[in-house]
Amino acid sequence: MAFERFTRDARAAVLAAREEARSGGLHSVESEHLLLALATRPEFGLDRDRLAEALAHEEVRSLAAVGVSAGELEPHTGARARRDPRFATSSKLALQRALAVAAKRGDRRLTARHVLLGVLAAEHGRVPRALAIAEIDVGKLRARI
Amino acid sequence: MVTAHPTFPDEPADALAAVGALRRLADRVEDAAVEQAVVTGWSWSDIAEALGVTRQAVHKKHARRLQRAGIARGAR
Repeated sequence: MAFERFTRDARAAVLAAREEARSGGLHSVESEHLLLALATRPEFGLDRDRLAEALAHEEVRSLAAVGVSAGELEPHTGARARRDPRFATSSKLALQRALAVAAKRGDRRLTARHVLLGVLAAEHGRVPRALAIAEIDVGKLRARI
Repeated sequence: MVTAHPTFPDEPADALAAVGALRRLADRVEDAAVEQAVVTGWSWSDIAEALGVTRQAVHKKHARRLQRAGIARGAR
């Protein structure tokens, strides 16, 4: 990934996404972690906690669809945080799409806004499902930012 | 506590999303199970055999977080 082309804000968003995954005790950084990281930036008018709630809701709903219900299930000590969760396919794809958006517009630097557009380009997966649960219109959001 | 009453959704999107959710749930169960085993005195080799993976794999995945939480010893 051409990180040297990322602006400071875009890099910060990528690092914050890894922190979102790490604090959740997860093995991988997914596109929803990029979304959560970007939602903390005031210029996009998103609410990080509301999106985190929508993602939690999406998880419960997806498990329920195959008849599984998982309540509280934490290790006894909560020893979950890993050192460096890896960027998984969904987050890599979002960043590739962000680069494509920037290239298409002839922008030399990749901004946080490009990253968000890359995340919002997904038609399937947790991001669009959670946005639907949070009743956020992706088309309107893309037009607004 | 996990409860299951197997069923299958009509929509492919819901079935595919369930796969991801189950994988994340399996990771959470593994974290809890390995921690419980270590606390109970199981060796990394025994845990690895029970999970059907190598001792190196289970150690690499869990040793650091459990050591930092003061649960596992530094040595294996």
